Amino acid sequence: MNSPTDEDLVANWRDEPAPLLPLLHAFHDRDGYLSEESIAVVSAGLKIPIAELFATITFYHHFAREAPGQSAPRVCTGPICALHGADALLASLDGATPMPCAGRCDGPIPVIKGQQVLIGTNAEELAPTASPLPVANPDGYEECVFADIRAEGRSTLAGYRQSGGYTALQQALTQSPPELIALITDSQLAGRGGAGFPTGQKWQAVANASGEPKSVVCNADEGEPGCFKDRAVLEHDPHAVLEGMLLAAFATGSTRGFIYLRYEYPETCALLETAIAEARTANLIGDNILGSDFSCELYIRRGAGAYICGEEGSLLNSLEGKHPYPRNRPPFPVTHGFEDLPTAVNNVETLVSVPQIVRRGAEWYRSLGLDGRVGTKVISLSGDVQRPGNYEVPFGLPLKTLLYQWAGGPAAGRQIQAVTMAGLSGGFLAGEDLDAPLDEPSIRERGSMLGAGGIMVFDDSRNIVDVARQAMAFFAEESCGKCFPCRIGTQRLEERLSGGGPTDLATWQTEITDIGSAMKATSACGLGMAAPFITDSLLKYFPEQVAQHVQS
Amino acid sequence: MSSNGIQHQLILDGEEVNFSAGETLYEIAERHRKEIPTLCYDPRLEPFGACRLCVVELEGARNPVASCTTKATAGMVVKTQSEPVEKYRKTLLEMVVSENREVEVDPLRGYASQELGKLTDRYQARTGRFKGAQSGQLHATDDNPFIFRDYDLCISCNRCVRVCAEQEGDHAIAAMGRGFHKQITTEFNGLLKDSSCTFCGQCVQTCPTGALADKKALRAAELPEPLQKTRSVCPYCGVGCSVDLLSKGEKLVGIHPAMDGPANEGALCVKGQFAFDFVQHTDRLSMPMVRGDDGELHETDWDTALDRAADGFAKTLKKHGRHSIYGIASGRTPSEANYTMQQFIRRGYGTHYIDNCSRA
Amino acid sequence: MSNPLSDMDKPDVIFCIGTNMTECHPVAATRIKKALKRGAKMIVADPRKIQLAEMADVYLPIRVGSDVALLLAMAHVIVRDDLHDHAFIEERTLDADQFLEHLSEFTPEWASTITEVPAADIEKAAKLYGAGDKGAIYYTLGITEHICGVDNVQSLCNLALLTGNLGREGTGINPMRGQNNIQGAGDVGAIPSNYPGFQKVDDPESKAKFEALYGREMDGERGITKVKALNLCGSEIFAMLIDGENTVVSDPDRKHCEHALSSLDHLVVIDIFLTETAQMADVVFPASAFAETDGVCTNTERRVQRLRQAVPPPGEAKPDWWIICQLAKRLGFEGFEYESAKDIFNELCSISPIYTGLDWDRIDKSEYQWPAPEEGHPGTPILHENEFTNGRGLFKLVRYRDPAETISEAFPVWLTTGRRLQAYHTRTQTGRSAGIDYLLSEESLEIHPEDVDAWGLQDREFCRLSSARGSVEVRVRATNRSPRGTVFTSFSFNDVPVNILTGSGYDPITDTAELKVCPVRVEALDKSESDAAG
Repeated sequence: MNSPTDEDLVANWRDEPAPLLPLLHAFHDRDGYLSEESIAVVSAGLKIPIAELFATITFYHHFAREAPGQSAPRVCTGPICALHGADALLASLDGATPMPCAGRCDGPIPVIKGQQVLIGTNAEELAPTASPLPVANPDGYEECVFADIRAEGRSTLAGYRQSGGYTALQQALTQSPPELIALITDSQLAGRGGAGFPTGQKWQAVANASGEPKSVVCNADEGEPGCFKDRAVLEHDPHAVLEGMLLAAFATGSTRGFIYLRYEYPETCALLETAIAEARTANLIGDNILGSDFSCELYIRRGAGAYICGEEGSLLNSLEGKHPYPRNRPPFPVTHGFEDLPTAVNNVETLVSVPQIVRRGAEWYRSLGLDGRVGTKVISLSGDVQRPGNYEVPFGLPLKTLLYQWAGGPAAGRQIQAVTMAGLSGGFLAGEDLDAPLDEPSIRERGSMLGAGGIMVFDDSRNIVDVARQAMAFFAEESCGKCFPCRIGTQRLEERLSGGGPTDLATWQTEITDIGSAMKATSACGLGMAAPFITDSLLKYFPEQVAQHVQS
Repeated sequence: MSSNGIQHQLILDGEEVNFSAGETLYEIAERHRKEIPTLCYDPRLEPFGACRLCVVELEGARNPVASCTTKATAGMVVKTQSEPVEKYRKTLLEMVVSENREVEVDPLRGYASQELGKLTDRYQARTGRFKGAQSGQLHATDDNPFIFRDYDLCISCNRCVRVCAEQEGDHAIAAMGRGFHKQITTEFNGLLKDSSCTFCGQCVQTCPTGALADKKALRAAELPEPLQKTRSVCPYCGVGCSVDLLSKGEKLVGIHPAMDGPANEGALCVKGQFAFDFVQHTDRLSMPMVRGDDGELHETDWDTALDRAADGFAKTLKKHGRHSIYGIASGRTPSEANYTMQQFIRRGYGTHYIDNCSRA
Repeated sequence: MSNPLSDMDKPDVIFCIGTNMTECHPVAATRIKKALKRGAKMIVADPRKIQLAEMADVYLPIRVGSDVALLLAMAHVIVRDDLHDHAFIEERTLDADQFLEHLSEFTPEWASTITEVPAADIEKAAKLYGAGDKGAIYYTLGITEHICGVDNVQSLCNLALLTGNLGREGTGINPMRGQNNIQGAGDVGAIPSNYPGFQKVDDPESKAKFEALYGREMDGERGITKVKALNLCGSEIFAMLIDGENTVVSDPDRKHCEHALSSLDHLVVIDIFLTETAQMADVVFPASAFAETDGVCTNTERRVQRLRQAVPPPGEAKPDWWIICQLAKRLGFEGFEYESAKDIFNELCSISPIYTGLDWDRIDKSEYQWPAPEEGHPGTPILHENEFTNGRGLFKLVRYRDPAETISEAFPVWLTTGRRLQAYHTRTQTGRSAGIDYLLSEESLEIHPEDVDAWGLQDREFCRLSSARGSVEVRVRATNRSPRGTVFTSFSFNDVPVNILTGSGYDPITDTAELKVCPVRVEALDKSESDAAG
């Protein structure tokens, strides 16, 4: 087959919604990199000024601009892979470059080559490996997100239907959108990407907002280090995501939906494309779905490597082909989202909960939490524990239970020194605070947050200041560079965790806390507000290590 | 004030003030002379919300909000100068200063070039705290004669990028990369000449640190005389952009666009911004000249030249009559020149043998 | 301009014809770009694919000199599709019926054969302009520098009258003037037809007024234009006073101009440089320049603004007005006893009906657009709001005419001339400003790449460009901006004196030269010639 011409590629995408990313990927996949000529063609084809397009391309980690580009290995050097020897692997592979956490923290080190993720701890071992299926919890707590994920053939349409799939959509279509919104509101389901905004309320706002077409966006840009739950869901239960999106679209009056999928999950992208094709054939996507008046198209848009695109404003800008800075809020996406029109942006985990709630009822969902808490949360657990993986926990489960009973605790002879929460964004929890029950208010009380639910464990053999340095280096690398407190603050904090800055402890601490306070109070988005959790918690739990670091 | 005239109220620093729909907290505060500090703000551009210096306390909000991007709603309670907010501002300025080579720059660099220096003085933020890496990179290879790209002084406020896109519509520059290492650059990180830049100089004039600087004006940096500004109008096309002439002593050293110029509202083009030095070019005529018997033009004094000129017209009148003398005025001289020219012909000869260059 | 510059981001539909605004009026063009960003639609008619054309929703690459045909057909479509503004026509215009009938024969298909633009695109443009609530027309010398310049302007007026696009915000007929005080030169009477303030010289009332003022008898008929005067040099015209104009380079048919000026008995030139024209003078007076002089100028939107002195003029250079007054006094003329520019301007205001409400101090902040007909008047940003100058708007029955010269076997290519962003006029100013050469150091002839091949030329090499009046050598630049069969160059560079070629004809009413159309021949230079040229 001849490779497509520039004109073919532009013609394929020019009139599609959100065309920039897929068009850039088309060139990137064809040539292995984005040449200046290709960038000029895209600029002309989509009428994006060339300087802006160029700058936008440089924003993303994974767009190569010269050969060999895409085929050169990219090695995850995230916090957990660093523990597994990522630096050595990186050094051993020809032409390899590092990449931030690629969401495989429950296994060996991932290496992306072309459209494949290879897993292994050394060059010989690298091989494509499917994502592990989440295991059921040992205490027998009922699940929602993972309730049916282990059913035979669940990732195919037939298997999904066999285990109850799409009955929720069928059921909803016999009712009205307000009834669906009322049900979700009643269930008290809240956003599982970290912000915890009540889902029913968000949908109601989109339904009420004026402007059409409305959109549903599934945020599958799982970029937080130590988070890999969405990947498990998307790979093993893709139709549940589609069904959740269709329900959200029906509830909000949206006629189009986008899955914004992170670049680092290429196989997942292929699986989703298959799932969407199957669903379209079965009249589950498209016009007059299942014979109803409801019509909705679903599209996949692949990111290109930028943590900040998990922030919904950045994500929407990225979808629209703009420079992916976060947006100033208000206005919020519910009224001014994709293309400035009403948009419901929901996380993968939130969306897959919806079909279960529709089938089993609001009361059922509410009852899943412990001690009066509502619902469940998937935790991606990784690092120095014996059984890392995705666990769906009832809200209120003690963190210690998860760490020791469910995951087997640290290796023999080791103690847990600290865990990071919300991936990295919640900073460290350590000492007595590891007794905390897993729910947002309890974790917040301890100066951290649960967020998207990534928990990374560091045992007493680890240099905790260096873990903090790596974390801050990640935030500095991923800061979008727009707002001053975050752009400069993450850099200065990283420098101070790497041995730079004052050598007088008190001065060092005042600088750290002054920078951190300004960042938390004035940053334009969550990245800059959250990054100082790392330094704050480091100072709180590990003053001696800090003193040693500064004075040495 | 909005055109619909409907007024709402909010509390600003303890005082009830009116505002109209669509106004931002910054605009309202500005009207009440609150002097909120900013670095990324240019009133001609869409608010960007990058520098965060303009944060104010808003009752009920968890964190201070950027006043430039926050639209006012009725009943808001806003504090513009609370102690914590002032401390954040100082810390932010100390952070900004920490990544710059210098804060004190020659005002010849550009219209807004003193903004950072003034703010750091106001907040006494030149403390030397937060030392570390520098973010900007001097683009010394760009040999264009107009715009000095001294990115060592860049603070990534994006005003240049925004003015180029929003005000000028050229989209010649953009911000490359992310985070601390973000750089303002052109397509493919090349020279301005190879981009869609038209050298209008708008980026130079909005730069709050002098990172983008007027190379031509800087030629006069060493002149000892004080810098003077004189309001005038650009000498080129018919748009009539208002400019401020920059002079030191008897030397014309540069041009600033007039932000309040009714025709241009701060805009200029390459000619108006940079093509001013013809005025003091060595080719300028400085003495009257008359054609000698050798057929060449020779410098002379005014009396001689005026007599000679008058004599020629007098003789022509005598020999060929009123309708043998013609005047051509210019579209580039002031109206007083044109008025006296037409009066010279009309009043002197009673004819209408006068025209100007509008036909070419 | 009928409307202010600040209106330019307000129209729904923008129609740019014969204006290369992004290069010639860049700051005005920024407002158009804002309008487009806001969602306005734009029609651009221009033989060359200029930058505006790239931004247009409908681009009409018309053959040079075919504007009238295009505009007639657009009016035809507007009337045919009932897009015209019945109420406006009824209330504000005269002779509409005749005009509507006149239009019936000018179909888009007919215009297509003349303009070489598809009829469908003409329809599209007409419907867009006709359907817009606020439609604004912008034009420059691409409309006026034709033998049918007046017809072109009239055709645009017809379109605006037909659609009621006058007298309201975001509408209007808006000529973009090319020089900073070209508007002022006309305002103050430096034209053969009007006393200051557009008081007609052939109006007995004006004549009487100025005879009283000047204490002498005045001619009751118009003077001759500059073009005619140049033609009569040595036969009827024997002395000239030229202030600040490089006639030899900027006017058409350079050889003719040089010949004309050299036939004079007496030539006096006032300028800031020893221009090609000054070099021919008997006496040259050194004038003060921009930044060295106080005064007033009026911009394209009729805004009356102050120029201020910042630095002293070189040597003994003096303000133009001072020089003229000194000369007048030596000739014994009365009424030149001014002490300052302020004196002169205030006198002008006292005798000019459009400036009556202004004086030197009032215009300190540039707030006024004329007319300001009485004291305290706020000025007039938008003309024709309730009434036209002569009451009702008049439709003119215009017909298409061929350019003065059309392409032939000997001269098979259309040449059109214009300006470039980086150079101003004859480069007396921009050519002497440091750095401008970095952007544009020499002139070139823009030719479609396929024509470059077809005519046996080499990109970047020199070619010879000839018309019936002469020939010049110029470097070839292959570019898609030029359509096939039409080439472009500017008149800014003295070493490519393109006005040697131009001057094929003049508008019969205004005497404006047809600088935008000139049939030429383009030939490769042979080896020895091109070495010499390079």
